[in-house]
Amino acid sequence: MHAPTRAARLLAAFVLTIAVAGCGTNSGSNAPAGASGAAPGGSTAPGTSTGGGTASTAPLSGTLTVWAMGNEGTKLNVLADAFMKDNPDVKVNVTPVDWGQAVTKLQTAIAGGTTPDVSQMGTDMMGQFGAGGAFQTVPADIDASGFFQSAWDTNKVDGAVVGVPWYVETRLLYYRKDIAEKAGITSPPATWDDLKAMAKAMQEKGGAKWGISLGTKNWQEYFPFLWSNGGDVVDASGQPALNSPQAVEALTYYDSFFKDGLTPKSVPEGFDITPAFVKGDNPMFFSGPWHLGLIKDAGGADFSSKWAIAPMPKKVSGTSFVGGSNLVVFKGSKNPDAAWAFVKFASDPKTQALWYKTVTDLPAVQSAWTDPDVASDPNVKMFGDQLKDTKAQPVSGTWSELSSAINDVLEKMTTGGTDPKAAADQMQQQAQSIGVK
Amino acid sequence: MTAPALTQRGVADRGTAQVATRQGWRRDLTGWAFAAPFVILFGVFLALPILVSFVLSFTSFGLRDLANPIGASFVGVDNYARLLSDDKFWKSLFNTIYFVVVGVPLTLGIGLLIASALSRGITRFRTAYRVGYYLPVITSIVAIAVIWRFLLNPDIGLINVVLKQVGINGPDWLASKTLAMPSIIAMAVWRNLGFAMVVFIAGLQAIPAMLYEAASIDGAGRWAAFRYVTLPMLRPTILFMLVITTIGYLQLFEEPFVMTGGGPLDATLSVTMYMYQQGFTFFHQGYASAIAYVLFVIVAVIAFLQFRFLREDA
Repeated sequence: MHAPTRAARLLAAFVLTIAVAGCGTNSGSNAPAGASGAAPGGSTAPGTSTGGGTASTAPLSGTLTVWAMGNEGTKLNVLADAFMKDNPDVKVNVTPVDWGQAVTKLQTAIAGGTTPDVSQMGTDMMGQFGAGGAFQTVPADIDASGFFQSAWDTNKVDGAVVGVPWYVETRLLYYRKDIAEKAGITSPPATWDDLKAMAKAMQEKGGAKWGISLGTKNWQEYFPFLWSNGGDVVDASGQPALNSPQAVEALTYYDSFFKDGLTPKSVPEGFDITPAFVKGDNPMFFSGPWHLGLIKDAGGADFSSKWAIAPMPKKVSGTSFVGGSNLVVFKGSKNPDAAWAFVKFASDPKTQALWYKTVTDLPAVQSAWTDPDVASDPNVKMFGDQLKDTKAQPVSGTWSELSSAINDVLEKMTTGGTDPKAAADQMQQQAQSIGVK
Repeated sequence: MTAPALTQRGVADRGTAQVATRQGWRRDLTGWAFAAPFVILFGVFLALPILVSFVLSFTSFGLRDLANPIGASFVGVDNYARLLSDDKFWKSLFNTIYFVVVGVPLTLGIGLLIASALSRGITRFRTAYRVGYYLPVITSIVAIAVIWRFLLNPDIGLINVVLKQVGINGPDWLASKTLAMPSIIAMAVWRNLGFAMVVFIAGLQAIPAMLYEAASIDGAGRWAAFRYVTLPMLRPTILFMLVITTIGYLQLFEEPFVMTGGGPLDATLSVTMYMYQQGFTFFHQGYASAIAYVLFVIVAVIAFLQFRFLREDA
């Protein structure tokens, strides 16, 4: 008679534990993360848990969990070590996160109240998570003017600044110098007309299969043309302006490359532009600084004289897209003083130069660009010059949805034959129904 | 609990009845204890999420509600009403039905053909054939999809390279609005017919040989024997395969996810892919749950109809 009773009690206890654990994940997020026991991200330092609200003058202490994605995640230990040298009482735990898992992992952490203290945040993710109120407001002693303005602006969510730029990237034109010369062109395209003429010449006289390679469904490639034509995603009053006359003109120009057969209408899933560029099939494309290294690796030593990069061709302006990542401090952070100290450390010009040397991420702090290591490479310097004329997508909780809708319309135009005016109207209609706030 | 029953019995019986009840209760408990691992896992990881997503489908649960899920607002049947006027959902539903209507008969038909050939006609290398047809079934679907993406590559893919040898300029299979879905169907049929083949072989072997003998005495040829002996005897097997394959195909996801991303121009966007997009890319979990339940109802109705029309006595 005893055995089943005990078994029943055990069973009941088990079920109850599960029920309680279930409740915990639902309601625990209201309380600051302290209640959840183990530090998030698999902290390996038990017992060092901090006393939290240290006065700002006292030396920093405690543990700090920092999440970083992709390449940054694997190399962040370099920064963490340098930070711990300055602040010996702080233990920084770095958690590398795969970019593919980043959004899901952040969602889970926010829902479960297990957010890290500091995290890297792609500029396009700011609205998505910032609008939910997950981040702390940036303290007043971090100075906005040191950063590239467009990068700083990606941190403004609902009127508050909730993150600090960490590194930036922008898009330039990569082109084959040798093919251009064969086609009789010796200087990079300065205007939209130049770009079009160059693409035509490279295809007709330069012997290339295509003139250029533009994205069939990529808002990041379309927006620079929209901005360079004096248009924008939203107007001064914050309303969508995707079917303004400037937008229609930019779309018409963009679409003309497809209509004239200068750029491929279909790109296989998983297409890699680098070998096509080296082979000479696609002699021009727009991309970020990462292609400097990729082309160097794919082309070999004697290839370096055959290609060059150029700033965004001008219409009204020559505005390019700015991307990159920011650093944010989560509201649930148990050690906000150390967290903000880490963010400040990461945006120090010296650290920014060190970070450039470590992973070749372009500094978001303008003064770091005078560092000899950054300034010595003329190609990198060209990215630095372009960064002064850049814009970013609106910071909005609905951006992932709206950008996907814009990509859909772009695809309909570039491959499906939708008229640019109709495409602009469809984008505008999508922006109005999905919203940009 | 069994008090009324007890009062009707004699006093002498009462004790034994109580012992019996206790023993029964004990037996029940032992049974439940053995079943507990499954019941708990099923409850926590299957029944609970199914229930929660049903509730979610009546809310506007999204990113902003993450930190405070209880705060999500109920919107009644709004999500379902919105689905009715969502062109993208209809497009994805059309694509999925296209995939099922073409893919299921092909899979079953070719599977049955191969099964018949292997259990009667072909005797040499029979095992090698069986293994060959079955291998794709046990291979990871993502690996297969990636390989097929290469095969179908317009410039360097094996298919177009071979076509070029015979003078045909192969199309860009996966980038064409009209050819992308047939390409995916071809891959799915090739991958799944192995399972159909194995089940059909088992079904064919269960048909008594004397039926065929009787048929041939009655003057039935090969086709007549197939039509009047094999098919009727195989009916339960066909029904089983039809239901299993239809349900599986209605949940088309990995193939377009890996090979086309739903494109070009949504030509291969399936219902589950659209659901994934809404639920995990845009985090409209309420809306995605509504899509899931609509798909669930469609699966249930189709399975019910198939049972109805293919029953023994139908």
